[in-house]
Amino acid sequence: MGDNVRKKINFNDFLLFDGAMGTMLQKYGIKMGELPESYNILHPDIIEKIHREYLDSGSDVVTTNTFGANKLKLKNTLYTVEEIVGSAVKIARKVAGDKLVALDIGPIGQLMEPLGILSFDNAYETFAEQIKIGAREGADIILIETMSDIYEAKAAILAAKENSSLPIICTMSYQSDERTLTGTDPITMVNVLQGLGVDALGVNCSLGPNEMLPVIAEILKYSSIPVIVQPNAGLPKLKDGEAVFDVQAHEFAEYTKIMAQMGVTIFGGCCGTTSDHIRAIKYELNKLNPIKRDIKKITAVSSPSLTVVLGEEIQIIGERINPTGKKKLKEALKSNNMDYILQEAINQRDAGADILDVNVGLPEIDELKVMVSTIKELQSVINLPLQIDSVRYDVIEAAVRIYNGKPLINSVNGKDETMDSIFPIVKKYGACVIGLTIDEDGIPATAEGRLKVAEKIVRRAEKYGIDRADIIIDCLVLTASAQQSEVRETIRAVELVKATLGVKTTLGVSNVSFGLPRRGILNRTFLAAALTAGLDAPILNPLSQDMMATIHAFNVLWNKDIASKKYINVYSSFEGKPTTEVANNDRDLNRIIIDGMKEEAKSLTKELLLTMSEMEVVNKYLIPSLDIVGQKYESGEIFLPQLLQSAETVKKSFEVIKERMMASKDKKLSKGKIVLATVKGDIHDIGKNIVKILLENYGFEVIDLGKDVHEDVVVNAVRNSNIKLVGLSALMTTTVRSMEETIKALRNNNLNCTVLVGGAVLTEEYAKMIGADYYAKDATQTVKFARKLFKCE
Amino acid sequence: MEIDKKEVLRYLGYKNQKIDNNMIDLVDECCKEIIDISKASSVYEIFDIERKNNQIFLLGSTLILKDIDIKNLLINSKKCVVMAATLGSFVDSKIAYYSRFNITKGLIMDACATTAIEYLCDELQNKIMENALKDNLFITTRYSPGYGDFSIDNQTEILNILDAYKKIGLSVTENNIMLPRKSVTALIGLSEIASPKSHESCEICKNSGCNFRKDGGQCAKKNKF
Repeated sequence: MGDNVRKKINFNDFLLFDGAMGTMLQKYGIKMGELPESYNILHPDIIEKIHREYLDSGSDVVTTNTFGANKLKLKNTLYTVEEIVGSAVKIARKVAGDKLVALDIGPIGQLMEPLGILSFDNAYETFAEQIKIGAREGADIILIETMSDIYEAKAAILAAKENSSLPIICTMSYQSDERTLTGTDPITMVNVLQGLGVDALGVNCSLGPNEMLPVIAEILKYSSIPVIVQPNAGLPKLKDGEAVFDVQAHEFAEYTKIMAQMGVTIFGGCCGTTSDHIRAIKYELNKLNPIKRDIKKITAVSSPSLTVVLGEEIQIIGERINPTGKKKLKEALKSNNMDYILQEAINQRDAGADILDVNVGLPEIDELKVMVSTIKELQSVINLPLQIDSVRYDVIEAAVRIYNGKPLINSVNGKDETMDSIFPIVKKYGACVIGLTIDEDGIPATAEGRLKVAEKIVRRAEKYGIDRADIIIDCLVLTASAQQSEVRETIRAVELVKATLGVKTTLGVSNVSFGLPRRGILNRTFLAAALTAGLDAPILNPLSQDMMATIHAFNVLWNKDIASKKYINVYSSFEGKPTTEVANNDRDLNRIIIDGMKEEAKSLTKELLLTMSEMEVVNKYLIPSLDIVGQKYESGEIFLPQLLQSAETVKKSFEVIKERMMASKDKKLSKGKIVLATVKGDIHDIGKNIVKILLENYGFEVIDLGKDVHEDVVVNAVRNSNIKLVGLSALMTTTVRSMEETIKALRNNNLNCTVLVGGAVLTEEYAKMIGADYYAKDATQTVKFARKLFKCE
Repeated sequence: MEIDKKEVLRYLGYKNQKIDNNMIDLVDECCKEIIDISKASSVYEIFDIERKNNQIFLLGSTLILKDIDIKNLLINSKKCVVMAATLGSFVDSKIAYYSRFNITKGLIMDACATTAIEYLCDELQNKIMENALKDNLFITTRYSPGYGDFSIDNQTEILNILDAYKKIGLSVTENNIMLPRKSVTALIGLSEIASPKSHESCEICKNSGCNFRKDGGQCAKKNKF
């Protein structure tokens, strides 16, 4: 690492950054759209002058002119990152003297996956390049600023930590709804960034000082590290067609005073601020001293937009994404059926889970690879925090690294080897961790014994610099059938651990009933006892109404569900309703499919299967109805949403049929395997998804590679599964190029498959030009073609 | 924000088929949901125009217009508005979610969002028009990269001069896909003479395979002409 001698930065006193670079550059005549960073090379004198103006007005820190100096933004310019960052730090260093130089790192300017196509690793590499150069050239601080996406902030922070030893300050930009553009609220920001080990955090840009106050107040409540604020000079107002910021220096400084009194210690300005603002702030700060704040310590895990705090209401950890004893999930993991896993997550969320445990440990799969892709997929559809569950340290590290938020790790225990492997990961990535009260000598029989192990875990964690608020102790549930006398010890241990160590607790509740009949009765009774003892976050199956009822009731009785709001919300609708569904005897599956009444498909299919074989239902009902619907669509009698409702109805039917066939194992439904993908660079996938559901309706097995799919991924999928038909989708003229490349790659690898293409900009002619075998104008045509190719007719 | 249900149905290819109440309710539900999750935001700047060497320069910015159709649009204009608008990224993630787990709803939500972003642009355009009228200026139609021969490559530069990523979180990929997806960039000319409405038509659009055109209808773009 090329860091120069590190300057000691006193974070206990006020620290004053500079104001805007862009606003000053505008004064010097920069055009809108011109690359501000080009001035480091074309007009270094101007940059120098701006830095000097800020230093003269009282800045302790000057920020390099490198906001957008990343390789993606500079791609089509005349400059390299090396040139821009190198020159920027040199200029600042030259002017700063014994004052500090902050290497400015702004957002990359591309949306990250899953909404965009910028991967976490690519973001990391992009930031790492800037940081290495900046550190080498003598920056004193790394300022990661104006972040909207906390995932991007995480990539930048990791890049800073792993490529320099400089202190890191990170600020995010908030909108007037007190969230960032991607939905991060202040508590989540603090919980995640503080965990990642930044030296100061805060908020900048977007809002003026007045509008920022509520966000600042919330941050100050939780942040145990210094807080920085760099507001705009008000909200932009349009004057003669030009956006202007109109909070003047003296008014701006008044707010500084308020913020300093609230507990902010690091100041500066963003858009619209000039050396006048900095001078006015300096004047105010000279009259003030930093105050000591009360900080609320919490045990909390976060997704990018949701923080779950333990210790207030009971928080439920959903246990269902774990293959142990679950045949269907095992099957889904083996066949990479991500939709099934995601559906499990959605069901648990809808049932009331607050956190989801994710365990994909199966000997026959590549656990690390599957864990990483499962975490990514889960993050793209669900905003609950995740609990990363594996016995393999490398799997845990890979998962928490790409996790977006503050994860919960399941688990560490009192064994030296485990603690010394897990705690560095917990510390580095700022996770919470479950500590099991078991060590080299096994599970202690008594509550006191388990407390001892818990104590050992907490002490060791603290040695690693981990706050005990980030440790959640699991006192371990033993089964009543085998160790009946020790069941109570667990309950006692929960009480003891909480009282002695002041940490939060969790338990895998349903272990208690293993081997006994009517397990639900024991589970819910044990749960009630554990909750009374102070259990904070039970791990259980949220789809069990018994367990959920116990929790809802407990939250009312223990005055946690204030005014019984949640309870009433859940149960008031039950009053007076019959508990069984009314059977719809006169309904006919054909009619239901044609009308697209998807809610009724499952029960009716089940009924039909009482008297018919699976294949009979498929051939007598599903396929003929689909054909009718397809014809109606083609003749214009129904429109696309109606076709899709029918398709989804068939899908529900199929789910029942597949389940039945999996149980019997003797028949095979698949009419053939087809690969589908939206090509590289393209992210439109509704069309592809429509094709997918229709193909599946007709019994084809679809390997859905998703969107923005690299040609190699298509080639590998085709090769590995010996695929005969590939469907490619592209919606832009610009991405049809990737389609052509994908087709070429398939041909160059001598893969004997037929390529069918579709998408808004394609035509028959265009398809031929890029080397496709067939063009389908819509989903029904694709199905027709597939049926012909696989000789289904 | 308002979403015109008729527009939504038109995007969905609706041509007076019989639809039941469930479908109507679903469309209503989707409209409501899009309105709830939209974080509509927009940004625009007005530039003076200079004509030189058969190109149009927007003074004080780096944007230079060379394509014939956009020069025709601005033929009488002395100023040019550069605008960008977006519904924000929650709309994208919701549509992605539904298109995976409830494709019917995903498709309808997508159509609702397309309607919503057009509405947002119309509103902004009206505001621009009203302001312009105060200075006795008339607006031209709203013209986006990708219309006619106005190259879609201009998107990057438009977002750049508006600093749109920083201001409203709007980015563009190498393949000219704007993210968040439900976003628009456009130019509007300001002229001392009211512009004729007839010179643009479907014929100048490059999307020759457009379903709306085949059916003799009009797309959202065309509606604004």
